[in-house]
Amino acid sequence: MFNYRVMALIKRELREKLMSKAFVLMTILLPVFMIGIVGVQTFIMSFESDGSKIEIITYSDSLTSKLNEIIFNESFVKNGSLIPTLKTIPENDIETYLAENEESLITEQLSGIIFIPETALSDKKIKYYSKTPKNFRLLEKIDGPINKILVETYFSSKNIPIEELAYARKSVDITSFKITEGEDIKEEGYGGLILSYLFSFLLYLSLIMMGSMVMQAVIQEKSNRIVEVLLSSVTSKELMTGKILGASITGLLQMTIWLSPVVLVASTTWFMLPPEAMIDVTFLQIGYLLLNFFLGLLIFVGLFTMVGSIFENPQDAQSGMWPILLLVMIPFFISMSMIENPDNPIANIASMAPFSSIIVMPAKMAIIDVPIWQVLLSTLVNIATVFAIFPIAGKIFRVGIMSTGRKPKWSEVVKWLKYKY
Amino acid sequence: MIALEVKNLSKSFGDLKAVDDASFSVPEGSIFGLLGRNGAGKTTTIRMMMNIHMPDSGEINFRGINSGLEFNSKIGYLPEERGLYKKMKVLETLLFFAEIKGKKGRAITKLAKEYLEKFELSDRMNSKIEDLSKGNQQKVQFISTLLHDPEVLILDELFSGLDPINTNLMKEVILDLKSRGKIILFSTHVMSYAERMCDHIAIIDHGKIKINGSVSEIKAERSKRNVSLNYDGDISFLQNHPIIESISDHGKSVGIKVNEEKDIQPLLKLLVDKNVTVKKFDANDISLEEIFIDLVGKEATEEVTNV
Repeated sequence: MFNYRVMALIKRELREKLMSKAFVLMTILLPVFMIGIVGVQTFIMSFESDGSKIEIITYSDSLTSKLNEIIFNESFVKNGSLIPTLKTIPENDIETYLAENEESLITEQLSGIIFIPETALSDKKIKYYSKTPKNFRLLEKIDGPINKILVETYFSSKNIPIEELAYARKSVDITSFKITEGEDIKEEGYGGLILSYLFSFLLYLSLIMMGSMVMQAVIQEKSNRIVEVLLSSVTSKELMTGKILGASITGLLQMTIWLSPVVLVASTTWFMLPPEAMIDVTFLQIGYLLLNFFLGLLIFVGLFTMVGSIFENPQDAQSGMWPILLLVMIPFFISMSMIENPDNPIANIASMAPFSSIIVMPAKMAIIDVPIWQVLLSTLVNIATVFAIFPIAGKIFRVGIMSTGRKPKWSEVVKWLKYKY
Repeated sequence: MIALEVKNLSKSFGDLKAVDDASFSVPEGSIFGLLGRNGAGKTTTIRMMMNIHMPDSGEINFRGINSGLEFNSKIGYLPEERGLYKKMKVLETLLFFAEIKGKKGRAITKLAKEYLEKFELSDRMNSKIEDLSKGNQQKVQFISTLLHDPEVLILDELFSGLDPINTNLMKEVILDLKSRGKIILFSTHVMSYAERMCDHIAIIDHGKIKINGSVSEIKAERSKRNVSLNYDGDISFLQNHPIIESISDHGKSVGIKVNEEKDIQPLLKLLVDKNVTVKKFDANDISLEEIFIDLVGKEATEEVTNV
């Protein structure tokens, strides 16, 4: 199978693909793009107007002075993103005070006025007056210190020790542990989950991208008649093998490049990650991911090559592409749903079924501890799928690549399988 | 001695019999023309020889080797519909096509450059194929069929789309290859090319081989009652003349077939008597075109769809 002809074909494919602008751009830009999306979002959210002035008004002097003690120690006040002014105004006068300050609120010289009435001591309900009252970031900041003084004031009359108060104020902190066979119980962060998302997405994208790239190339070779020259030197099987392997190796290389930062982060201590984001992957797992991906490429690139050989232009090929796209998309959505509930029975079946296991199994492995037999089974299923697909794809390719003219019907394509070659 | 033999080859596409029990043989050291109208079955025959289409029946044999990969490795093939990778560079393209034939290394690179020189393409060596003119692309493809030093060249419609200068260049190269003992098989529907180059031909029509043999023998057999005439004046009086069987006008010259061999001298006298200026009167001469039309032209004139 791997004679000099196939090697020459693979070499040409690799040279063409690896040197192409599309490959270089995609390999570099995709991670940049993904980081970019997250980054831009964080950036936009962190962007806030500097030095919003707000007034915090309480009904009593004692409350105002308590607030005064703590609020100027808050970081958002220290860094100047919020400039609070504290006042005491009795509840009866607040309406008049608001009316007086209406203009500065509307012109946004004053971002808002917070009023803490006496009733807040029992029901913690306070009032916020502003032109833009739904400014959650501002309210989120201010509600901490206000809550603190309200709680303190409330409990100060109830003779409760400070430590008890500190306990009551603390929220629940859940630490997740992953139970794995034979190993110690390990603290589990979100790393696995992030990795699972990331890898599913890359897998999905890469399979479709590589597949449709090869399909376009096959259609092009067919329509501009290079095939005929090629087939005078190589067999159609060799041509198909060369194309599929060329694309699969390209894809594998791309994925290796994409995954290398993950490996770097996981295997070295060069990067300080917060413990919640720790990634726990071994080289064996990375090796498995790449093997699984390579099998996936063989299967899906094979299918795309087959479809490409049937049609003579990309428009016609759309109709043949759909079934294959579904084979990639459905498993992708299954693995996305699994992130919510890893025990989903559909996901369990999909993780070991032909085609879908390529995408579902890696995602599953990142989230839960999959028994080794399941991993082996899914790999065997995938290898078997490769061997099942190749003869069929080869037959269709053999006839399809040389048939021109009108778009063939599906019933005709089925007949091609029966041709003796 | 026969080098390449096609025996009882048949191929159908659905209801259409593209090639029907075709047999012909190509002797060593010859330039062989496979002649036929568009859709006669030339390309299908050639594709079966190259193992691109599987024949329904029949076999192909070159010096004892049946069609297949080993057979193909001895052949340089130029398909009717040319195709090259548009984004590849000229030299790269040539080396790639040589490599899938199992030839690579410095010697091949050197040879490729020599051919590029010969075809006046050495300055385009590193140009992309898509930047070349159609004629130049064709030359590159032609070189790619030669580079692995094949024993046989199979050229489907070699001259289509070439200007006269490039046509002559191709002819020179082909004659040079012939002198080096290579066998050249080309298909064409342009009889004048075949006339000037081939020493053996086969004429195919509706998938059937109508005639196969050496050009001189075929001509000798069919030229006995034939006259090739160049003239000035009016020869319309020859229409329906008792000694004339048929007249075919080839533009520059006229082919006249008389009823019997002894009618040739009376024909010349008749022309002189009627004040026709005879510029050339070539007895026992027949053009391939006449033979072709004689064999093929009587059939229904509608073209068979190309498959």
